[in-house]
Amino acid sequence: MIGLDKKRYFRRRAINAFNLTISMMAVVFALFFLTWILWTLVSNGLSHLGTSTFTQMTAPPGSQGGLLNAIAGSLLMVFMATIIGTPVGVLAGTYLAEFGRTGWLAPTTRFINDILLSAPSIVIGLFVYELIVRRMGHFSGWAGALALALIALPVVVRTTENMLQLVPNSLREAAAALGAPQWKVVVMVSYRAARAGMLTGMLLAVARISGETAPLLFTALNNQFWSSDLNSPMSSLAVIIFQFAMSPYEDWHYLAWGGALLITLFVLGLNVLARSIFRKNIGS
Amino acid sequence: MAVPEKISVKDLNFYYGNFHALKNINLGIPDNHVTAFIGPSGCGKSTLLRTFNRMYQLYPKQVAKGEIILDGENVLDAKQDLNLLRAKVGMVFQKPTPFPMSIYDNIAFGIKLYENIKKTDLNDRVEWALRKAALWNEVKDKLDQSGTSLSGGQQQRLCIARGIAVKPEVLLLDEPCSALDPISTARIEELIHELKSDYTIVIVTHNMQQAARVSDYTAYMYLGELIEFGATDMMFTNPDRKETEDYITGKFG
Repeated sequence: MIGLDKKRYFRRRAINAFNLTISMMAVVFALFFLTWILWTLVSNGLSHLGTSTFTQMTAPPGSQGGLLNAIAGSLLMVFMATIIGTPVGVLAGTYLAEFGRTGWLAPTTRFINDILLSAPSIVIGLFVYELIVRRMGHFSGWAGALALALIALPVVVRTTENMLQLVPNSLREAAAALGAPQWKVVVMVSYRAARAGMLTGMLLAVARISGETAPLLFTALNNQFWSSDLNSPMSSLAVIIFQFAMSPYEDWHYLAWGGALLITLFVLGLNVLARSIFRKNIGS
Repeated sequence: MAVPEKISVKDLNFYYGNFHALKNINLGIPDNHVTAFIGPSGCGKSTLLRTFNRMYQLYPKQVAKGEIILDGENVLDAKQDLNLLRAKVGMVFQKPTPFPMSIYDNIAFGIKLYENIKKTDLNDRVEWALRKAALWNEVKDKLDQSGTSLSGGQQQRLCIARGIAVKPEVLLLDEPCSALDPISTARIEELIHELKSDYTIVIVTHNMQQAARVSDYTAYMYLGELIEFGATDMMFTNPDRKETEDYITGKFG
């Protein structure tokens, strides 16, 4: 090769090898702890999961108990939070991506949403405590669901906006060129093009709130008994884990491990589902 | 000009923010003929095309001043209903833009916007549009498949079918063949020949031979100005202006 500067070439190869090594070490570092966490959860939790976990209520220390009320409470509150949070989030994200192209409202909303996105969840819990729990005079499942909804909301807003922004403008132009009013362009074309990503965002928001503890401590608190009444205090897996793990009782510890494994498997499942939906639709 | 004008452009100026993109354009687009806009990149031909259906209005900071008279009405008038205008002035873009829905729904989408149409009539109209766009034989057995599953050339013909399905009066083609292979290009050029008896067609193209093949009239633009406009035969054999000749013969551009 003409003009090949060997020194320069080998130097570049050395730098390349060095950087590659560093980044691989970073991956190993991250994966190591992740596997460790998963392993600890499985080895401690799996042996304490049994039919009684899903059929019995949390019990006082010393007696046989399960997590049924906590599982049901978690599912109910997460479900309600999703029902409340996602429509608002999708509509707000749609406004940011499709309608708020001029003016100050969209940039301001985006800015505040970013703050909300990184707000500590305990602050959200305190906010809902002040807003609802204190005024109503008691803890309630509704307050818990609202706190979770407020945490899911900015996630959904952000992913909806991002996914809609990935829709090429040429598609919007093509629909507008047929004489379609803007709302029809959004509903018939943009949503369809972005639906996989938007659905992924919703699932990730659900995954995010299913493990939240802090906002529930101030809002839904806990309930030792079966309750499907959202107007009364409600049990949840996250709070049970927190409470039982901090207790001095061995059998409560076992239940906490089992609950932790359950939540992790649930979140893992949601993530895998989100990923497979996203990949399948992007691939086509 | 003996042919009546479908669109009359009068003292049109266009701005992208501070950039003056079109300068005092005066032009008449002949009814039921094909008019080609040619010129080097950035000369404003696509910009001019996009004023006819006010596509630029989707973006803030893009402003058109002057008059564009279509059937006696000023398109640029603030009172002009944009959606009705765009139903009347169809457009096909450079890159194929099939909607993420079935082939059938791609065509039906535009029709259902403005017509309360029976299912059987809708089926007929979809078939009619696909036949017009010379796509029917290739897709008749898979109308429920996604429009994005078609090849590039088929997608572009699908977009043309979608454009004519709403029965516009004017069809704007913005470099419709630039992403296509020669065979697909030939089919679309044939299609343009067939369509011009029913539609007024304006096509932007970078391909001089294509302009010569498909158009009846040609406008040569340069740096936002209309340099010359006339019958395509005259423009390509005996242009009035030296600049036009230089561009067409490849000395410039």
